[in-house]
Amino acid sequence: MSTLTLLVMKIGFLVLLWFFVFAIVYSLRTELFGLKARKGQQATAAAPAPAPAAKRKPSTAPQPPEGSATSATASTLVIVAGTRAGERIPLGREPITIGRSSDSTLVLKDDYTSTHHARLVLWNDGWMIQDLDSTNGTFLNGKRISSPTPVPLGVPVKVGATSFELRH
Amino acid sequence: MSVDTPARPGDEASPEFRVETGVLATMRRIQRPSRLRNRELLLLLFAFVVNGAAMVLVQLGAIGEVQPGPLVAVAGLAVLVLVLHGGLRVWAPNADPVLLPVAVALNGIGIAEIYRIDIAEKLTGWGAASTRQIVWSAIAMVAAVLVVALLKNYRVLHRYTYVFGFIAVVMLLLPLIPGLGLNVNGARVWISIGGVLSFQPGEVAKIALAIFFAGYLVRTRESLSMVGKTFLGMRFPRLRDLGPILVIWLLSMAVIVFQRDLGTALLYFGMFVIMLYMATGRTSWVLIGMTLFVGGAVVASQTLSYVNGRFRNWLDAFNPDQYEAWGGSHQLVQGIFGLAHGGLVGTGLGQGQPAITPLAESDYIFASLGEELGLAGVMALLGLYLIIVARGLSIGFTAQDDFMKLLAVGLSFTIALQVFIMVGGVTRVIPLTGLTTPFLAAGGSSLVANWIIVALLLRLSDSVRKPGPMVGAAS
Repeated sequence: MSTLTLLVMKIGFLVLLWFFVFAIVYSLRTELFGLKARKGQQATAAAPAPAPAAKRKPSTAPQPPEGSATSATASTLVIVAGTRAGERIPLGREPITIGRSSDSTLVLKDDYTSTHHARLVLWNDGWMIQDLDSTNGTFLNGKRISSPTPVPLGVPVKVGATSFELRH
Repeated sequence: MSVDTPARPGDEASPEFRVETGVLATMRRIQRPSRLRNRELLLLLFAFVVNGAAMVLVQLGAIGEVQPGPLVAVAGLAVLVLVLHGGLRVWAPNADPVLLPVAVALNGIGIAEIYRIDIAEKLTGWGAASTRQIVWSAIAMVAAVLVVALLKNYRVLHRYTYVFGFIAVVMLLLPLIPGLGLNVNGARVWISIGGVLSFQPGEVAKIALAIFFAGYLVRTRESLSMVGKTFLGMRFPRLRDLGPILVIWLLSMAVIVFQRDLGTALLYFGMFVIMLYMATGRTSWVLIGMTLFVGGAVVASQTLSYVNGRFRNWLDAFNPDQYEAWGGSHQLVQGIFGLAHGGLVGTGLGQGQPAITPLAESDYIFASLGEELGLAGVMALLGLYLIIVARGLSIGFTAQDDFMKLLAVGLSFTIALQVFIMVGGVTRVIPLTGLTTPFLAAGGSSLVANWIIVALLLRLSDSVRKPGPMVGAAS
């Protein structure tokens, strides 16, 4: 075995080893640089919604474009942004509790979510979001809510780092 | 594990609906997990290539030809790894995908380097450390499979907190029992079963202690974190709440005095302090812990001759008297020479002289690898450790409950601390103490313990990533 071959193989092994390290780091990229991947997911999740542009702007208008639609017909809660983007929770008639506590219906594990953060309640014929005196607040279409507020279909509700909306 | 909806009377009326949800549920179950597991398989194959290349290079460098025997043995291990991978697909499909490949790569590189030292010392068969290491790796992987398969729910561990505490104490005391304990290089940390199988129960005690600490701290964290006086911007605990830390401190000191094992004591105590910090979020605990340990270590270095010797070897390593002395700094200095010989890119696997250093295959495996892979290779190895520890910590941070959080952080921190103690010792950052470099060093008990840690982390990460929100039971 010539010295040169051994030298080449030596360097080759080090390169291989580092490639392995980078392969692992690369496979973790979505968790290391989660924001970009999340944005992509959010875009695709928001695509079917009729007016995605309106959602991006911190609109001051309390009523969204499809505000006339009553949310009583909502059948799913779709998470559109956050670590669990893309997940769906079927809506029944029971209230949905949101918070860090593990007995919540929707468990959100981030630093901006309170233990018992908010809850969604079916009131007469519409879903109402109620903030349970959380530290960082609950936002309906970009506005912090202070009292139980009706949630129209397709309007984003933000809790901590997570946004979700109600859909048919 | 199945998420099939139980058949309700209403479903019979609409079979199509049921079929569709069934299909969707199955698809969801298969799609997400297999993405993780496929990623793991890909990385595993990469790790096999790295390990195979390491073995071949060792043979080419040291013997000049390829011998199939050891390669077949390593390939056998790879098959076992694939069994573990298959087990994860069945029992823990959402487990973290990078822990296993990293552990496999470290284990394989360790085997290659141990094999390289066996070649230099002309050891073959059962006398060779590499043969035993391969067998122990197999045992360790079987243990990991068993943990993943049998421990369906980690919360069971929480229930048996005090049982694990008891097991840990028994394991620690075993080597002190006359007739069972074995005195190796002055340290009483081994037990010998019938003179054939020797084992370091302290390694298993490490895991039992982590479980015990996690369970205990979850139960007592309120009283340990809430009360106390604030001083220098930190909240200090009440005197009576110092009990637990003092008990663990005394235990560590007892390990130093009676088992003559500095590294293990540091490991146990460090693990407890970091878990205490995690549970309470009080910096003062870390301060108290470090003060206690440094105080204890200083007293030990003045009163215990073996600790004193370690300190002198560390501070005055290149003094010729110290170098020549029995139990002096010969080994440490040889290790440093080896690292220096390696330089930036190393001598190449199989082409250095790591065997000059005593215990090159166990305590000094890192110096051996440093000589043959150089700084570039050693940094890659540290990077792999970093990945394991970072994954462990992130499993802890996304944990569903405090017990799991503490356990994951405690377990991954033990790996980090062990690497720090060993690499720091070999490179003369801290006094050298006899621990094992996780996964790399020759030593069966340590391999088994570290593979169990990886299996536990895999199990924990699976429960973190369970897809789908927990839909509350209709109340």
